[in-house]
Amino acid sequence: MAPDRPPQPPVSAGAVAAVPTPPLAGRLKGMLALLIVGAIVVLAYRQTSFDLEALFTGAADFWRFFGRLVPPFSEVGSDWGAYLPELVGPLIETLQIAYVGTFFGTLLAMPLIFLASANTANDPVTMWIARTLLTVLRSIPDLLWAAILVPILVVGPLPGALALTLFSIGILAKLGSETVESADPGPLEALRAAGAGRTATIVYAVVPQVAATMVSYILYVFEINVRASVIIGLVGAGGIGFTLQTRLNFFDYTGVGLIIVVIFAVVLIIDSISVWARSKLI
Amino acid sequence: MSDQSHARPLQIPRPPASQVRNRYALLGGAGLSVVLLVVVLITMNLPTWDRVMLGLRRTLPPLWRGFTNPDFELFPLAFNAMMETFYMAVIGTLLGGVLAFALSFLAARNLLGGTARAMPGKALLVAVRTFPEILLAIIFVAAAGPGPTAGIMAMGIHSIGFLGKIFSDVIEGIDPGPLEAINAAGGNQIQVFFFAVVPQVLPEFASNLLYRFEINLRAATILGLVGAGGIGGPLLQRLSFRRWDEISMILIVIIGFIIVVDAISSRVRRQLV
Repeated sequence: MAPDRPPQPPVSAGAVAAVPTPPLAGRLKGMLALLIVGAIVVLAYRQTSFDLEALFTGAADFWRFFGRLVPPFSEVGSDWGAYLPELVGPLIETLQIAYVGTFFGTLLAMPLIFLASANTANDPVTMWIARTLLTVLRSIPDLLWAAILVPILVVGPLPGALALTLFSIGILAKLGSETVESADPGPLEALRAAGAGRTATIVYAVVPQVAATMVSYILYVFEINVRASVIIGLVGAGGIGFTLQTRLNFFDYTGVGLIIVVIFAVVLIIDSISVWARSKLI
Repeated sequence: MSDQSHARPLQIPRPPASQVRNRYALLGGAGLSVVLLVVVLITMNLPTWDRVMLGLRRTLPPLWRGFTNPDFELFPLAFNAMMETFYMAVIGTLLGGVLAFALSFLAARNLLGGTARAMPGKALLVAVRTFPEILLAIIFVAAAGPGPTAGIMAMGIHSIGFLGKIFSDVIEGIDPGPLEAINAAGGNQIQVFFFAVVPQVLPEFASNLLYRFEINLRAATILGLVGAGGIGGPLLQRLSFRRWDEISMILIVIIGFIIVVDAISSRVRRQLV
């Protein structure tokens, strides 16, 4: 201890125990929130009759099922070496669907981004309409879009591409308008003060600020679309998911196993490329 | 100043070289993507225009009739199915949260002492995240039979990837001060964990759990398409019979429910962080 330190007053036992307590209102609010969440969880557990025990008692069945997916342990189904080349066609179709969906989704999202952002919107009414449209587009998952569009359009890649287009618009416009709204208002004001119109303001003041982020978001949406395009075939919207559905109907489990492995590999590869490219952008 | 402006009239400065380069890169990228689109559209197995128009002429009039007259008698059934979907998402998110909570400490660099030791955990999380949820659902339906349990398992397992990554990022970003303080005051590892780590990460964890719940609620609406419980099952039946008046009612319930839950959830999240 330093010798020049002034003598400390003796610490009483009472002072040590006086750890400050958080305010009562905050604690009550926290407890109430916990109570509500707990009630919902208990209700949900009972309503879904979720069976945690079955997972352990059924574990043997589960591993036996996995065994059936892999050729050496399974006598039924396709030979992996012979079946693999047949998957190339559906796989290319899958990537085509993802690309077309991303392209048209981006194209259609662009005007909506500027209509839905507070700092570039025309007027409050169109902004509200644009935002509502985007909320509805986003609240329907991609697979559901595909399931709705397959009976309307012909079975095949067309409804798949359209489903991904619609879903991409929703995500991209949401992410995009958040970026546009956080853009530096300086250049916008400068151009408006110099008498530039709305289009010129957007092109010269907003676009240069958000371009890099937008490209990164487009890549991100492409990632999402690749993931979606491998599965939308399950409802008849083309691609490798359609092949998967056929194999499932034939109980060709080794075929199903191979398709799952291939899908996993493709998604992993596209994801890593996209993540790498995005890290270079921003 | 005034001399100069007389000698040289006001000139807009040229944009810096990097900006010009970026502009060309952007235009080049856009051009390339259009070329690629043309190639893809030519090679793609698209139906003929006549075939599409024939299909549209056949489906659009009944579709319009159905969507303008939703079958309100189906509302109780649709709402109950949506509540089941909601409950599935609750348990699925909770399951994913618990599993991710345990795993996230095995993927946090600062707790394990080194990037190399966190690598296996991080790789596992990436693998889980990449595996499509609906494939998990197919596997669980085949192994455990159809029903909400299969869907909950699929959601729970898939959520680990996302939540585990976020959780471990949060843990890596905590302030080491409180940890050292409790250590210095003689606290053991368990006390450090409960009084220094947990209070710091709890709000972020709760907020991300809620965010994941929003995602899972959307996912849960489609899990029924492969027999894993929820509103997707009744919807798929009606889609195959093209009962548009009932389909539109179910869609209204799904969209309305999701918008309301999203609004509540994002409000709570703003309070948390």
